[in-house]
Amino acid sequence: MLKTLGRRWREKLDFGLFTLPVLICIAVAFYIPFVMTIRYSMTKWNGISKHPKFVGLDNFQQIFTGDSNFSSSAWFTIKYAVLYIVIVNVLAILLAVLLDMKLKSTSWLRAAFFIPYILSLVIVGFIWKFIFMQGFNSLGESTGWSFFGLSWLGTPGLAFISILGVSIWQSIGFYLVIYIAGLQSVPDDLKEAATVDGAGAMRRFFSITLPLLAPSITISVFMALTNSIKVFDVILSLTGGGPGGTTYSIAYDIYRDTFQNNLYGYGTAKALILFVAVLVVTIIQLTVFKRREVEA
Amino acid sequence: MKTNNNKAGRIILEVVLVILSLLFLYPLFLTIINSLKSFSEVMTDVIALPKHLALSNYSYVWKFINYPRLFLNNFIITGLGLLGIVFISSIAAYKLARTKSRLSGIIYFLCIMPMLIPFQSIMLTVLQTAKNLNLSESTWGLGLLYWGFGAPLAVFIYHGFVKGIPTEIDESATIDGASSFRLFFSVIFPLLKSVTTTIVIIDVMWIWNDFLLPLLMVNGSPDTKTLTLAAYTFVGQYTSDWQYAMTAMVMAVLPSIIVFIFLQKYIVKGVVAGAVKG
Repeated sequence: MLKTLGRRWREKLDFGLFTLPVLICIAVAFYIPFVMTIRYSMTKWNGISKHPKFVGLDNFQQIFTGDSNFSSSAWFTIKYAVLYIVIVNVLAILLAVLLDMKLKSTSWLRAAFFIPYILSLVIVGFIWKFIFMQGFNSLGESTGWSFFGLSWLGTPGLAFISILGVSIWQSIGFYLVIYIAGLQSVPDDLKEAATVDGAGAMRRFFSITLPLLAPSITISVFMALTNSIKVFDVILSLTGGGPGGTTYSIAYDIYRDTFQNNLYGYGTAKALILFVAVLVVTIIQLTVFKRREVEA
Repeated sequence: MKTNNNKAGRIILEVVLVILSLLFLYPLFLTIINSLKSFSEVMTDVIALPKHLALSNYSYVWKFINYPRLFLNNFIITGLGLLGIVFISSIAAYKLARTKSRLSGIIYFLCIMPMLIPFQSIMLTVLQTAKNLNLSESTWGLGLLYWGFGAPLAVFIYHGFVKGIPTEIDESATIDGASSFRLFFSVIFPLLKSVTTTIVIIDVMWIWNDFLLPLLMVNGSPDTKTLTLAAYTFVGQYTSDWQYAMTAMVMAVLPSIIVFIFLQKYIVKGVVAGAVKG
């Protein structure tokens, strides 16, 4: 009796010793800040006064009714996220299909497309700023193409395309790698059987390869979604939000309100809205995509 | 005839792909050659190769941003972060996967749930919490903070992996009289080697290059900065000195590229494993 009681206590102690460290660290990194965020979001606070003033849901009301920065940055983020998710995944699938063939240079090619992904996005933004501002001049002079003479960071529409293009350039290697791994698990005999049945390359791709790639697509879209909703670093270093404030994303807008305009309470309210949006969108995406997956 | 066609097609395809990949990497090539030019050369022609190698750009930036110091900072932050993440996540995930109780389920959920919280939603209050705990403006403090930020994904990946290890292994070790810590470190942890590699690779790339958290946490003094952060402030100060800016870029990026070249195979594998499990 005593012995079993002792063992049960030992098990409980073990359980605590193994799981407490991680719980404490996660609480410090996420839960405590998260609860504080909820509290601050209902206050007016400039970060200096000792006591934030409680204002209830006023911040939220103001954000949804009278904040043109928020609506324009939300619109920017939605446009960016949709285009990014579609383009990066389509390009990565196409490239993966090509690189899945047995070519001599396959491993070099895969590495080449992956390299930008190991660079920090802030640095990628600066490198491209240099290319857009200085490099395109020289390229324009030597090729005579008017394409290079456009103001890629100076006009709103083009600046949007630049941010999108640079983000895709940086991350396509990541999605490529996931799709190549997915393609390698598509059984060859299925493709052969389809060829025997007289299916052409296009038909094989759309009726066999693509459906069996569904798990990879779910993951890649999920990653692309969560990353694009939070787009920040590349904008900071590439356009700084310009020209004329047209390239602010939600994450950037929150950063600006909180740390540059010292609207601590107001900024955290926006941050909370971002969290809810991310939560809802990812849950919807995962359930919809999971339902469409098929087993090989 | 048909195979000949196929062969020719493949060669053309291969050539096209190689050209495409070179174009793809061209921006990086331009960065490197312009880091080796003088200011006037950068201004007159960006795409030309440097006439004289301006290696002085490198010594200038090296001294100006105190490169060895920053490199050490990055190293400490990444190393400390990784050690902690691997340690706390592996023991927790192991225990959680082996214990079938409601409490264990709840704790597991609490561990992985933060993956859905965007960092920007909590950045202000993370900074406050770090200040209260005396972790801000310190290299070691930043490294410690990464433990919590890296743990959710690591717990998730380890948890999935531990479930695949038969419990008989635990039982036979327990019968031999091993304590649970002993059992974990001499029996289980070695079995987790492949998944640990995955986690290490994902987290090295993330922590080494991270920007926003260091910007908020250690931006106050030049001695606590990270490489990316220093490159960012450097370019902010020298907006038009592109030759120095490009040199700083190359120097910030070089360690990652060298590591990538050596560990390419594992990095790609790790990313795949991490993404598929994550």
